[in-house]
Amino acid sequence: MRLRVIISLGVFLWCSWLFVDAYGEDAPLCLGCHGTKGMSKTLSKGEELSLYVDPVQMRESAHGDFDCSVCHQGFSAEDHPEKTFSSKRGYSKLFSGACTNCHTDFKGIHSVLIGGEVGGVVCTDCHTAHNVKPFKFSQESQYCLVCHSQGIHLNFGDGAQLPLQVDPAHIEQSIHRDLTCSDCHSDFSPQAHPQRNFKSKRDYTVASSQVCKTCHFEQYTETLESVHSRLPAQGNEDAPVCLDCHGSHAIVPARETKALTPPICAKCHEDKYSAYKKSVHGAARISEHNADAPTCSDCHLAHKISDPRTAEFHLLVPEICGRCHSEEKLMKKYGISSSVVKTYNQDFHGITLGLYKQKGESKRVAVCTDCHGIHDIAKPPSPNSPEVHAYLAKKCQACHLNAPDNFSASWIPHYEASFGRAPVVFAINLLYKIFIPLMVVGLFLQILLHIWRLVIKR
Amino acid sequence: MKNEKPEKTYIRRFGPYRIVEHWLNAIVFAILVLTGLPQKFHSYDLSQWVIMALGGIDTVRLIHRFSGLCLVMVTLQHMLGGMFGVLLGKWKPAMLIFKKDFTDNLDNLKYYLKMRNHPAYCDRYDYRQKFEYWGVIVGGILMGATGLTLWFPALVSRFVPAAVIPDARALHTNEALLAFLVIIIWHIYNAVFSPEVFPLDTVIFTGKISRERMVHEHPLELARIEGKTVEEITGRQPEYVQYAETVSPLSLKEMSKSAVSPESTGHP
Repeated sequence: MRLRVIISLGVFLWCSWLFVDAYGEDAPLCLGCHGTKGMSKTLSKGEELSLYVDPVQMRESAHGDFDCSVCHQGFSAEDHPEKTFSSKRGYSKLFSGACTNCHTDFKGIHSVLIGGEVGGVVCTDCHTAHNVKPFKFSQESQYCLVCHSQGIHLNFGDGAQLPLQVDPAHIEQSIHRDLTCSDCHSDFSPQAHPQRNFKSKRDYTVASSQVCKTCHFEQYTETLESVHSRLPAQGNEDAPVCLDCHGSHAIVPARETKALTPPICAKCHEDKYSAYKKSVHGAARISEHNADAPTCSDCHLAHKISDPRTAEFHLLVPEICGRCHSEEKLMKKYGISSSVVKTYNQDFHGITLGLYKQKGESKRVAVCTDCHGIHDIAKPPSPNSPEVHAYLAKKCQACHLNAPDNFSASWIPHYEASFGRAPVVFAINLLYKIFIPLMVVGLFLQILLHIWRLVIKR
Repeated sequence: MKNEKPEKTYIRRFGPYRIVEHWLNAIVFAILVLTGLPQKFHSYDLSQWVIMALGGIDTVRLIHRFSGLCLVMVTLQHMLGGMFGVLLGKWKPAMLIFKKDFTDNLDNLKYYLKMRNHPAYCDRYDYRQKFEYWGVIVGGILMGATGLTLWFPALVSRFVPAAVIPDARALHTNEALLAFLVIIIWHIYNAVFSPEVFPLDTVIFTGKISRERMVHEHPLELARIEGKTVEEITGRQPEYVQYAETVSPLSLKEMSKSAVSPESTGHP
C-alpha cells in the first residue's frame, strides 16, 4: 500500500515537472483535459473535431514553450468560453487568424496562398496547429512539396480538376531527379507562384510540354516534323505532346521509355497495338521482354514520326526493316537470313523502289510489309508450303490483278539462287558466268591474232 | 561484172530492204542496250544517271519494252521472209551453217598463226557473219520470249508454271550481256576497227562492195559470179580448192557453173 502511494506520487511529480519544464504556465492545466486521447467535439454540421493535443509533439514544436492562450486567446485557467463552429474548416480559418498576430510579414509563397491569388489556404493547412516547426529547406523541392504533397487540386475552366500532388518517390526515380522544380516550372519559385487559368486539363498539358524544349531542343524540332504536330491544326487536340508519352514527374530515361512505347502509343492507336501484341515482334517484346524485338519507335521513330500512309514512308520500309534484318549477328541469333533486304533490292520490286527513291518519285511498289503484313507480322512458315503460296497469291493479286493463284511461284523466296533453291536460275547464271568470259577471251584472241597477222604480212 | 581496174569495181551486195532492216536492227538494238544495261547494272552511278536522264525507271522500262517489241517484229518478219524466200526458191539458204564454216574458222586461226599462207576462202557469207547472224536470230527470239514473259508475268503464269518467270529473268539478263558483248567486241571490231575496213565497213549502208574486197573476203562467191575458178580469182595455187570442194555443201564446180546475178544470190 505504501509502495503504491510512493509510486503514484512519483509519477505525478514527474509529470508535473514535465509540464512545468516544457510548457507555458497554463499548459499543464489545459493538457489535463486536452492531453486525453479521444477528446472531441461535435460541430453543428455534424463533423467531429478532435480536441486532443499530443503533449510530446506540442513540446517539441517551434511553439513548445508558449502558453496555450498565446494562440487560443480568450481561454485561460479562469475562463473557458463556449464557442460553436459550423465546420472544421471554419474552425481552422478562425484560429489561423491567431498566427497573424506574430507572423505579420507574408513573404513569397505566403503572399500568394494567404488571401492572395490562390486564396482559401490557411496557415494550419501547411504548418498544422500544434506541431508547428520552422521550415529549413535544403532543396527547393522540399519547399514545393510542403504543399504539393498534400491533396491539392488545380481547377480548370471546364470544371475538371487536376491533382497537384507530387509523389516524392516519383521524382527520386526520375531521370530528372537532380533538377529543381523551377527548372521546369520556370515561373514558380519560393518567391513567386503566379496564378494561371487553363480552360481544360488538355490545355494545361499542352502548355506544360512547351517547357521541355528548353533542354531537349533537338527532339522538339524533330517533333515539329512529326505527323502528330500537324494534327492540332486539323482540329485534333489529342495529338500527343511531350508529357503524353514521357509523363511528368516520373520521367524515365529514353532506354526505358522504349520498352514502354507500345502501351503509350496504344493510348490512341489501340487497334495497331492489339495487332502488334500478337505479332512475332510484339509477342517477343511484351511477353518475353526481348529487347531485340522492335517497338513502335524502332520503326516509326520517337519524335520525327512521319505519316506511315504516305508513299514516301512506303518507300522507306525496306530500309526500316533492314535496320535489324540486315544485321548478320542479330539475325543469326534467331536463325533468320540476313540477306533478305539484299535479295529484295536485287529483285524487280527492290530495283524499282531504289530508283523511285532516287528520283524522288512517290509511287508505290511492293515492299516488305505488302507481303509480310505490318503490325501483324508473323513468323513465316516454311517458304514453299502451300499455305504460304496461297497467302502470297492474294498479296500478289493486290497489284497483279490478273495473276493466277500459282503466281507466287514466280518469286524466289529471299534466297540467292542456288542448286537447292531455284536450280534452273542457278544453272543459267552459272552457264553464262562460264560462257561469257570464255567467249570474250576467245573473241579478243581472234582479234589480236588477226591484227598480228595483218601487221606481219605488211 | 568484170572490170579492168578491179579496185574501182563495185558489186551490189545488198538491196535497200536489207539496208533498212540493218538500220532498224541497229537503232532498236542500241536503244535496248541503252535502256537495258542500266537496269541490269542498276547499282552503278552511270546506270542511275542514264535512268534519271531518260525520265525515271518507268519511262526507261516503257522505252525498253516497246523497242523490244520492235526488235521482235523485225526479227519475225525477217525469219518469215527468209523462210518463204528459201522455200519458194527465190534465195539460196546462204546463211545456213555448215561444217565448212567451222573449218574456215580453224583455217583462219592457222593462217593467223602462220600455219597457212592464205585465209580461208569464203562464200557469200563468211563464218563470222553467219555466226553473228544466227546469234542475232536466236538471241532475238530468246530475248523477245523472255522479255514478253517479264512484261506480262501474270498473263504468262496463266499458261505456264509461274516458276519460269525467274528463269526468264535469268536468261534475259545473261543473254543481254552476251549479245551486247558480242556486238561491242566482235561486230564493232569487224565492222569498224578491223584494219581491213577501218574506219567503217560501208557495205551494209551503201549496199555495194568493191571487187577487191570480194577477192579477199568472198572469193568463192566472186568466182561464181565471174564464172572463174577460185585460183583465177585469188591468183594462188589450188592447194585449198580440193579441200573446199570436199566440205562445201554445194560442190565448187556447181557453184562456179551457176553464175547467177548478184542480186538474186544468197539472200537473205
